[in-house]
Amino acid sequence: MPESVFRESAVEPHTQSVPLAHLSLELGHLYMEDFETGPERLREHLSEVRVWVDAARASAARRAGLKRPRISTCFLIDDYFTRFSTPAELVPLVLEEAAKAGLVIDYLARESGCVVADRIELAESVMHRLVESPPPGSNGSRPPVSQTGWLANGQRTVPSRSALAEIITWQPPQETAARNHSVFMDVELWSETDKGRLWSCPFLAAVWQLARLGLLRHLGEPVLVPQPWTGGDFPRDWDELPPLLALNDSAAPFSAYRTCTLMPNRFLAVEDAVRLILDQVDVDAGALEQVAVRSAHEGVAVPGAVAQRATYVFYEEPANYLLSEGT
Amino acid sequence: MADAGRPVRSVLTCGEVRTCLLPSFQSLDGRAAAQLLRLRAGEHVRLSERPNLYARSPQVLTGVDCRLPTSNGAKVRGVGTVASRAALTEGRVLQTTAYFSAPADGPDVRRPWGQYLVRPGVVEPFGKLPEQATADGVLRGARRGELDLGMIAEGLLVQLVRHPLLDQQAPFKCRRTHLRWAARRAPEGEGPSLDRFTLAEDGLRTVELRVPESVPAAAVAGLCEDLALHDWLLTTVLHILQNSRLGAADGPAAVLALRPAVDHLLHLWMPRAHVDRTLGHLWDELERAPGFTRQWQTLVQRIRDQLAVQAISRTTCGSSSTST
Repeated sequence: MPESVFRESAVEPHTQSVPLAHLSLELGHLYMEDFETGPERLREHLSEVRVWVDAARASAARRAGLKRPRISTCFLIDDYFTRFSTPAELVPLVLEEAAKAGLVIDYLARESGCVVADRIELAESVMHRLVESPPPGSNGSRPPVSQTGWLANGQRTVPSRSALAEIITWQPPQETAARNHSVFMDVELWSETDKGRLWSCPFLAAVWQLARLGLLRHLGEPVLVPQPWTGGDFPRDWDELPPLLALNDSAAPFSAYRTCTLMPNRFLAVEDAVRLILDQVDVDAGALEQVAVRSAHEGVAVPGAVAQRATYVFYEEPANYLLSEGT
Repeated sequence: MADAGRPVRSVLTCGEVRTCLLPSFQSLDGRAAAQLLRLRAGEHVRLSERPNLYARSPQVLTGVDCRLPTSNGAKVRGVGTVASRAALTEGRVLQTTAYFSAPADGPDVRRPWGQYLVRPGVVEPFGKLPEQATADGVLRGARRGELDLGMIAEGLLVQLVRHPLLDQQAPFKCRRTHLRWAARRAPEGEGPSLDRFTLAEDGLRTVELRVPESVPAAAVAGLCEDLALHDWLLTTVLHILQNSRLGAADGPAAVLALRPAVDHLLHLWMPRAHVDRTLGHLWDELERAPGFTRQWQTLVQRIRDQLAVQAISRTTCGSSSTST
């Protein structure tokens, strides 16, 4: 059948593609408490990370069947939960410590960029895409995406009164995908504060993972696009720094088929929550298709489920952190 | 893992469309329609201005894990997502649709949820899908605890009609209609066909189709929305004509009763305006018998005749009163 001559461009949805590397490797995530303990702590962290970076590179090369797979590195600084220091002070320090450890940071992101980037409400748009995993018996009558701000991997405990009124019988929660026994998890996605909605760390980390996997779009356009800093010295205010800073002209693309995140083992619970969230996000179908087609074409087909594309290395906390915590 | 990326070969696509008048005194322009149908922040509302103003929301998903409706009592558990969406025609007629596709069979265990989410609008049966019994079950309507497309479509409709953009001042009263549809896969090498369109009671209509595997579920949903829209127009205008008690009522009362049809509905008739080109010809069946457009034209003609008669009698009354 011949195509129609008449077209209305507004009618045809269009998803713009983004360049993709094989692996997006996150070298660190800096919080105020890490910074406060001094540059030694950062140095310790990066020296430890260096060991695992080599392993992650080797793994990506083996998987892609290439000597030099496209790998980009990124680093995240928290400027959302607590504001500390300034880009002028902190960014050169991070870059210098990375260089000392033999590492190159290709992209540097601000955590608040996962909330709003270039005036686009990323966290909110991901929230609209949550499709809760239905416990058995869900036939469409449950209200859609919880208005409670919590997301679980199963059915919560529902206190029910027994026939004899006063006694409340306890019902255990149940993980939907349990194997014999449940590991039930309930994740707080946001809380309401005087200053508005405060997104939780796991939720923002899920947005961050989606950005690194090249699966975020706004009206079909890429979001959180890396921008270089051309203004000389880094600014004194975090808001003046682009949400995602490109630091290396010759770097592989920021987004990738897979992610690998290197972090201290205290983040294990947070990242488990991130996977729970990723497993319940209905991502842009066009973006998903583009990644599937291109990765298959390169012979490195990605897992169908998005959460499976994120991998981690959890390493032992540097010793001086524990010492400083004790003092 | 490879399984999750494999495209689903669906053998059955089912849905339910709910159609109603937008509860707003003024019809919405394109901008307002886009605002109403913005179900997701980062996604486009499709807005078309030719050949008529038509807006369609992005698709949203509802996760389900329950028994599929079956006509023979077979108990089949299905897991996956039901797609739903809304459309607004000429800023006046609101429709919501919930639909899903199902493959011939599925694994006997529930898989990680993320694997269902990458196949939006697909519900997988545990084991083998009783195709005809499920199609019939959907058309009959869900029983307690079974997958209920009507409830999902209604949920979206209720959410939309409560939107603050709407003043709840519908220009006239009319009923909602429900259209349930089931499309089984057409035999290899055969094109799409419309097998049955049934007008049941209480505003319920059912449609049975056959479509080749290559036709996307969303295109079938689009055809059924178009059928539902035009069936609703016929039903509503017929109702207005009946209520006007043509001939029996006195002149001005009849004109008043017919006016909503003229103001809000007569310009909406435009079969297959936004139907996928591969399915547009299925309308031909309905045009042959019972002849949807033929009936519509007759209704429109009756309304125009009536208004013309009233206008003439008013001028003749007016002129005769001045001559005496």
